[in-house]
Amino acid sequence: MGVTVLQPYPLPEGKSGAHIIDQLSKRLLSLGATHAGQFLVDCETYISTPQPHNGSPGRAVHVLHNSEHPASTFSIIDNGTGKQVALVADNSFDLLMSKMTNTFTSKKQTKIESRGARFEYGDFVIKLGSVTMMEHFKGILIEIEYKACVILAYCWEMIREVLQGFLGIAVGKDFPSYFAMQTIMTAMGQQQLHAKHNDIFEPMDTVKQYLEQFTNYRKHVALLGGMGSGPGGPPVHMSPSVVGMGRP
Amino acid sequence: MSNSVNISVETTCENQIREIGYDGTERYQPPPTLSESLAKCAARIDFSKTSLDDLKKEEKTAAAATEEDKDATQFQESLWPWDAVRNKLKDALTEICVLSDVISVAKDKRYLVLDPLLEEADDTKPIVQVYSRKKAISQAAQVLLGGAERLRNAHSEQRSRNVSDFHIELLRLRQNWRLKKVSNAIIGDLSYRTAGSKFGMSGTFEVTKAEEAADDDAPSSSNNSSSSTSGNNGMQLKASSALRVIVPSELQGVAYIKVITQKDQEDLCTAQVNLMGHGPNITAQTGVWQKTLEFAQNVLFCKELFAQLAREAIQLQAPIPHVVIGNQIRATLLPNIQLIISLCHSTTFDSSQPAPINDHDHVLEHSLHQLLREVHYKNSHHPFPHPASAPLGPTKKRMVAGPMAADRETLLDMTKSQTILEQIIAQAQHIFMRKRTQYVLDTLARDVKDPQIVSHWNAMNSPTMSCVKINIVTHGYDAIGRTSLVIHVKERSLKCICRDGRVMRLSYEPQELRDLILCQINSHQISCLISLARCMAWTVLSNSNHLGIGKVEPLGNASSCLLASPNSDRMIAVQIRCDPQIDVKVYIARSPRQDFFPSPLVPEKLWENLGGNFKEVRFDKIEGKSFLNKMEFLMASLTSNSA
Repeated sequence: MGVTVLQPYPLPEGKSGAHIIDQLSKRLLSLGATHAGQFLVDCETYISTPQPHNGSPGRAVHVLHNSEHPASTFSIIDNGTGKQVALVADNSFDLLMSKMTNTFTSKKQTKIESRGARFEYGDFVIKLGSVTMMEHFKGILIEIEYKACVILAYCWEMIREVLQGFLGIAVGKDFPSYFAMQTIMTAMGQQQLHAKHNDIFEPMDTVKQYLEQFTNYRKHVALLGGMGSGPGGPPVHMSPSVVGMGRP
Repeated sequence: MSNSVNISVETTCENQIREIGYDGTERYQPPPTLSESLAKCAARIDFSKTSLDDLKKEEKTAAAATEEDKDATQFQESLWPWDAVRNKLKDALTEICVLSDVISVAKDKRYLVLDPLLEEADDTKPIVQVYSRKKAISQAAQVLLGGAERLRNAHSEQRSRNVSDFHIELLRLRQNWRLKKVSNAIIGDLSYRTAGSKFGMSGTFEVTKAEEAADDDAPSSSNNSSSSTSGNNGMQLKASSALRVIVPSELQGVAYIKVITQKDQEDLCTAQVNLMGHGPNITAQTGVWQKTLEFAQNVLFCKELFAQLAREAIQLQAPIPHVVIGNQIRATLLPNIQLIISLCHSTTFDSSQPAPINDHDHVLEHSLHQLLREVHYKNSHHPFPHPASAPLGPTKKRMVAGPMAADRETLLDMTKSQTILEQIIAQAQHIFMRKRTQYVLDTLARDVKDPQIVSHWNAMNSPTMSCVKINIVTHGYDAIGRTSLVIHVKERSLKCICRDGRVMRLSYEPQELRDLILCQINSHQISCLISLARCMAWTVLSNSNHLGIGKVEPLGNASSCLLASPNSDRMIAVQIRCDPQIDVKVYIARSPRQDFFPSPLVPEKLWENLGGNFKEVRFDKIEGKSFLNKMEFLMASLTSNSA
């Protein structure tokens, strides 16, 4: 079990996703990584059927699977105001959700997944994933895991170095947005700044990062879909929190 | 004297007020007339009373009322209570008429005869009762005595005959074995099916009554009896019982599994797997069928164990494949060491059976038994929890793997399991490695006298790993220094952890361990010498564990140490090699040199203070029990007080 960081890769103009993936795989193989199977992370969203009257979007349940933990199903409830409740369960959770059709409907068109090859490079596991939503290609998401450490703060520099080494793009010095400082309420009722990068990493954190990235991809669909075919501006310096097809 | 007081009792003559007029006048209800009061009394008559007194009363009242009634009949419609009374009286009249008719008819004796009933005399004499009761009781007593007599006869007959009753024997059999009645026969089951075994061979036996033929011939001539009944020969008491047990032919006889570890042709250790040898002896009170059934069950168990092992031997892929020939399985533990498991089944009971081989390894015997029992147990017991909504069967770890987000490696590890053959091979390999390590350490301890090698084996160990702690000390100098190391003995390798944290992995060759210990002895001598020198106030100028000098040795390098005396006028150089034996060389130098003569090139006298040549000491001639002892004496003799 190690620290996992997601890095969206900006697609340069004129190149297809498959070409980029191919290029990156060649780079990894020449560095000495070994190809070790495929991986799949998928996310399905269920919306609460009786829409609440006061206009709020209603509760969404995201059900994710990660091929790295094949016996588990991850689930996150989002009640629209930003509060999230996370759950790790056995695979029979999917059967449970299929019985809940009265309360939750599945929005099939927002089923999104990241699929691709998995490489093992010493203590690192690097996954090159192409993100697709209903057979439409959305972008490239790179996942890197350092198996030897469980706290991000101790190994962030090394991960950043490896990423920059084979991706060829600049990776920002700050921690990824998921690990930024958060204000939480302590048990005493006081607000406190909590540094997530000092916590022990859990499999749920990987899944939450994926959900964050998938949500970004979905929002971009909504944005682009709403404004017609928006011009894909030239990608500028990408900080990890901005998705590939971002606009300045 | 009359103290009596006259008391008059009067009823209140007041009548109930019926109404009060507007002018205050009260109109009283008139008191009931005689006819009204009579009507009230008549209404109170309960015609359902049947006692004699009541009947008499009723007759009197009926007689009195009939005359009144005749007066009142003309008013019958208005007098409602008289209606019921009239009806009842009419019925009574009818009945009496009937009675008088019957009596008159009976008096005639032509159509109806009245016979008197024989009345029992109430005043029977009590003595008659006593006599009748006595007779009845004596009859009952006779019945009971007859029964008791029969039981006593049966009991004494049983004791004298020395053969137990069929039913008592059947009861004993049923206490130990599962029996059921199928039409006319009694069938029993001696297989391990209810304990979780899935073996195909059936273990049913039949129970029949013993024939009443001559007892001497029956045990030896009957084919159906077990072979062990003849084993009771030599006893004068007839050990035959009232029931016979018929066991299927493939389970007859005695079987055991022989496990031998063979090195090229020589037996190293042997194990017998046998269920029989260790149970309590209950033959005396339960009869010969118990031994028969136990032997048959043992045969079944051995067959199942061997079938399982043979199947695994064929399915497993080993670097050197396992060989299954007939009733023997050969597996290779280490190069030149083989494990031979064979099923020995003898159908004729041979009292001249060879005595069990002396190198009997109880551990392997018990292990094979336990491993098969573990398989049985896992077949019948599913691990908790037993959820209602998930499959039954996965272990607790696997059930929790989902909610705990276990990763792929963990899940893969959970699926790996070892077969019985793999486990017994691992255990046999470990036993062999342990014996070999013990042998190497013991011979080294015997051969090397100077530092003493003390090995402490852990009392608790697992079937596939043992640990030993080795201390190398010099006698008399324990406080100066001690070298210790821990050796983990696994199935095919050793892992050695030294005190300074170095971990070395050795293979199964005994020579590697020997070399390691010799190297440790080497470094022990030098390190103790350094500590000793400090105690003696000698300065350690330098030491090295790996001198790259001299010819190339098969076993590491020499180690050395250079010491200077407290006032620096003597130097000692020590070199230790462990060629095949520990070889110590000691050299001494003195300063100032004796043989310094000023020459034109080196004119000053002060250059004599540079140390002189080293001369070898005949170390084996120095007094002292051990290396350190000799060094101590040497250092003591070279220490001088002169400034």
